[in-house]
Amino acid sequence: MSNIIEVSGLKKSYKDFEAVKGVDLNVKEGEIFGFLGPNGAGKSTTINMLSTITKPSEGTAKINGYDNVREKNKVRASIGLIFQEPTLDEKLTANENLMLHCKFYSVKKEIREERIQEVLQIVDLTDKRTNIVETFSGGMKRRLEIARGLLHYPKVLFLDEPTVGLDPQTRTHVWEYILKLKKKAGITIFMTTHYMDEAEICDRVAVIDHGELIALGTPEQLKSNVGGDIIEVSTEDNSAAKVLIEKNYQTEVIEIENAHLSFRVAKGSEFLVDFIKQFDIPIKSVNLRKPTLNDVFLQLTGREIRDETVAQKDIRRNKMRRGMH
Amino acid sequence: MEGIVAIWQRDVIKFFRDRARLVGSFAMPFMFLILFGSGMSGAISSMMGGAGSGPLADFDFVQFMFPGIIGMTVFNTAIFSALSVVQDKEFGYMREILVSPISRVSIAIGKVLGGSTVAVFQGLMMLIFVPFIGVAISVMMVLKLIPIMFLVAFTLSSIGLIIASSLKTAQGFQMVIQVLVFPMLFLSGALFPLSGMPAWMNFLVKINPLTYSVDMFKKIILQPEKMEPALRKAMGLDLTVFNHLITFSDEILGVALLGIVFVILATFRFSRAEA
Repeated sequence: MSNIIEVSGLKKSYKDFEAVKGVDLNVKEGEIFGFLGPNGAGKSTTINMLSTITKPSEGTAKINGYDNVREKNKVRASIGLIFQEPTLDEKLTANENLMLHCKFYSVKKEIREERIQEVLQIVDLTDKRTNIVETFSGGMKRRLEIARGLLHYPKVLFLDEPTVGLDPQTRTHVWEYILKLKKKAGITIFMTTHYMDEAEICDRVAVIDHGELIALGTPEQLKSNVGGDIIEVSTEDNSAAKVLIEKNYQTEVIEIENAHLSFRVAKGSEFLVDFIKQFDIPIKSVNLRKPTLNDVFLQLTGREIRDETVAQKDIRRNKMRRGMH
Repeated sequence: MEGIVAIWQRDVIKFFRDRARLVGSFAMPFMFLILFGSGMSGAISSMMGGAGSGPLADFDFVQFMFPGIIGMTVFNTAIFSALSVVQDKEFGYMREILVSPISRVSIAIGKVLGGSTVAVFQGLMMLIFVPFIGVAISVMMVLKLIPIMFLVAFTLSSIGLIIASSLKTAQGFQMVIQVLVFPMLFLSGALFPLSGMPAWMNFLVKINPLTYSVDMFKKIILQPEKMEPALRKAMGLDLTVFNHLITFSDEILGVALLGIVFVILATFRFSRAEA
């Protein structure tokens, strides 16, 4: 399969701050590519550069063979974008929103009707076609945006946190649609998310932190790099337990939210039997599990991807919005 | 091309859908024309040599104000139409437009045309007042009014877009427009006759493009060529610049030229701001 996205040495700096410090990556046609990282790591800046919204300071990006700076309009015609913040016109009906999009992207007149019906069916909004968007629920708006992003059959669909702020049920639905799409249209999907379970669905995942790529591979590869099993314990005295475990078993222990300790061992089930018998500090709870992408993340960056509360995130996002535009 | 149509169409659809705005748009003209105009008309007629005899007896302040009120409505609607650009930035829709393959130039032109069209509709709606104020409006006049309204609105929408491209919040935009529109309106002869003004004011009036815009509406509706010269003078309908009597075609040419200059500036400004 050929590369639909080719990025090399992509950099973006603002005055004295380097938001993205040289990213190289290729995405194959038909792939679901996940782009993970904590807030402020450079995810959005990268996606903005790839989608021609922001001009890179250095480096090149090509999408569908077109250069992101010199052939902006061809790139724009090749991609669909679904932003974190809603970008529907809420005073118009679903149909009007879709019709305008067809015109913006010069979808041929004869096929517009068919396309609109098709995308509305994918997201289950056929019966809401003539309703004003203002009356839609959050999940319905999200689905309509996804439908709109697909109208012009983009080669690459960029999804920036596609399910943020949705209830779990709608999240599942949105994912069903995205997978349906991949199967049906062979579309390439480039997405950012901070839900690790969502990242598991990706064919390949890149992790970015402080503007640099720190890992790239299939979720399995990344998880096997972590290796072994994860043990999580909670004890009467976590700080003493941390010192003791590190001394006895020569493994790195991470304390999570002052509630439990997490560490890695080669063979979890055998280890656990001895551990419980021998450990001096009273244990409150113990848990054994396979590594997840979250552990990969934790190991690479030293923090959990979701360690910020929603409120903090919103404040930061608002600040960014005010500052950067 | 289709992109321009789409941007234009969106503004027009939204104009007709917003009932509150449609009804609300009558409030200002109503207050000026009926409340302010009727209140002032007695005083103004008596100041103009008293009701009774002479050519000035025909002076009717409300009728005089009517073209000015149409002008005011067209200016306001046109220049405020650019508010939608700022709102689109605030509510996110601008991103949908900006990441699509339509050129920045088409977006700017579509916006200016949308604003102009809406302003023409809004201006035409002012004709509802015709039966109450006793001016005679013929179909010919309406047919003449429409292109002139469009021309004026086009120029004003472009000015609006230049301002909107430089601002980020709707509040900021409204502030700037208020500060800009009110003096221009007061110095345009829309609300009182341009006669016997102090020299400094006369200067400001003559460099104000709205003066000539309002004058075109007056020429169409009040038909000064059929008036007694003394009445025409009292109404300030003989605009002169360096002793040259300004004609209707001078005004069309002048406003059209300004419109072209402003739309180029607006397109340039918008493309730069949203590259």
